[in-house]
Amino acid sequence: MNNAQLISLSRQVALERQMDVVANNMANVNTAGFKAEQILFGAAQMPAAQAADMPWQDQTIAYTEDWATIHDFRNGTISQTGNPLDIALDGDGFLAVQTPAGERYTRNGVLHLDSQGFLVDANGNQILSTAGPIRFDASETDISIGKDGTVDSSAGNKGQLRIVTFPDNQQLLREGDNLFSGTGAQLATSVKVMQGAVERSNVSGVSEMSELIRVTRAYTTLSKMIEQQNQLSQAAIQQLGTLTTA
Amino acid sequence: MQALYIASTGMAAQEKNVEVISNNIANMRTTGYKRQRAEFQDLLYQQLRQAGSQTSDSGTQLPIGVEIGSGVRIAGTSRIMTQGTVEATGKQLDVAVQGEGFLQVSMPDGSTAYTRDGSLERNASGMLVTTDGYQVQPGIAIPDNATSVSISAQGMVEAFLGNSTTPTQIGQLQLSRFANKAGLQSIGNNLFLETPASGSAQSGFPGSDSLGTLLQGYLETSNVNAVTEISDLISAQRAYEMNSRVISGADEMMQSTAQLR
Repeated sequence: MNNAQLISLSRQVALERQMDVVANNMANVNTAGFKAEQILFGAAQMPAAQAADMPWQDQTIAYTEDWATIHDFRNGTISQTGNPLDIALDGDGFLAVQTPAGERYTRNGVLHLDSQGFLVDANGNQILSTAGPIRFDASETDISIGKDGTVDSSAGNKGQLRIVTFPDNQQLLREGDNLFSGTGAQLATSVKVMQGAVERSNVSGVSEMSELIRVTRAYTTLSKMIEQQNQLSQAAIQQLGTLTTA
Repeated sequence: MQALYIASTGMAAQEKNVEVISNNIANMRTTGYKRQRAEFQDLLYQQLRQAGSQTSDSGTQLPIGVEIGSGVRIAGTSRIMTQGTVEATGKQLDVAVQGEGFLQVSMPDGSTAYTRDGSLERNASGMLVTTDGYQVQPGIAIPDNATSVSISAQGMVEAFLGNSTTPTQIGQLQLSRFANKAGLQSIGNNLFLETPASGSAQSGFPGSDSLGTLLQGYLETSNVNAVTEISDLISAQRAYEMNSRVISGADEMMQSTAQLR
C-alpha cells in the first residue's frame, strides 16, 4: 500500500482521539473545578527498507502518534454563589478527599454535609482536614471557612482543610467524578480559600470551538488526500496496464 | 469515534441543567422556595498510555500518559438553603422563619413534613393549618371567640378571648432543624421530607438551639435571584449548542470517511 495513505491514516486515527478530547472538554464546560485537557502528538519514525546505493536515498517515513495528554491547570473563573459550603481555591492546590480507594484530590469545592454531619463531596466522600475528616454536630451553625482553610463553626475551631500541591501536576491521573490521583502530595502554603464561591470549569468555549473546526477540516482534508492517492494508483494501473498494439 | 457519545452526554447534562433553572424561575414567587442547582462531574477516563509505565530497559518512564475522558454526568441537584428575604404581608397568621428551622406539618398519612412556607390559616374547627389544610404540629386550636392572635418570636401564640383585655396563651409553635438540610427530599407543595441524608429532625421552640425565630405578619420569599438564573440559563444554552456542534463536527468526519471510494 502507498506510504502516503498509511501516513494519512495514522493522522486520521490521532485526529479522532483529539476529537474525543475536544468533546470531553466541551461536555464539561459547566463542570465545577474541571480542568481542560489537551492532547500532544509526536512523530513515530518508521524504519523503511532503504537502498543506500540509489542516487538519492529513500526517506524514513513518520507516522503521527498521540503521545500525551496534558492537563491545563490554569484557574477557572470564580463565581460567587453565596452558599456557605461552596469554596473556591485560588492558586495551585487541591482539596484532599477520602475515597474508598484512598486519598484523592479535587478542585471542585462544592461541598455538602452528610447525615452524620461529615463534610463530604457530591459523592459522599469525606473532605479531609490536616487531622482527618471534619464533622459538625447537629446543633452547630454558622460554618465559616477562612482564607487559609481554617474551618470554624458556632462550636469553635474545627481544624484546617488539607490543601495540597504536587511537585508536578502533569503527573496527576484523572479518575472521573472531578477527582485526581497522584503521589507526593505536600501541604500547600500559598493557596487562598474563598468561601461562598465556586471555581467554574476552565474550558474556554471559543478555543475548543476553533480546535473543533481545525480537527474536522484536517480530517476531511486527509480523507480527500487518501481518495486522491487512490485515484492516482487507479489511473496508474489503468494506463500502465493497457495493452497497446504497436 | 467516541466524540459523538461524549458530546451527547454533554447535551443531556445541559438539558437537565436547563430543566433545573426553569424550575427555579417558575418558582421565583413561591413562598419559602429554595433554589436548586445542578452539579456535574466528569466521567471515567480511558488510559491509553499510562503515565509512569516503563519505556525502556534502562528504566525510563513515561512522565505523562494519554487519557481520554468519556463525558459528563449530573452528580446531583442540590438545594441552596440560604435565607430568602422576608416580605411584609400584614396578615395575622403569616409567619416567616428567620434562621435554620422548618415548621412541622402533619400529613394526611400521619407522617411529618417540613416547610419554610409560613402562610398559615384557620380551618373550620379553629386549628392552625397550612394553605393545603394540613395541620401544623403541635396542633394549635384558636378558639372561636378569639379576636386578635399574636405570635411571638419564640412561637408563643396568644389570643384575646371575648372581651378580655389580657391575652391568653393558646399554644407554642415548634421548629425543626437538620444536620444537612440540603439533603431533605422535596415533595412539592413547599414541603420537604426527612431522609437518611438529612439526618433526623431536631425539634424545639423557636429561639433555642439556633432554630431561628418567627416573625409574624411576614412571609419568606423564594431565594431565587433572577439575574443569576438568567446568566446560568445563557451559559447552559450555549454549552448545549457547543456540544451539538461537536456532534455535527464528528458527523462530518465520519461522513468524509464513508464517502471514500
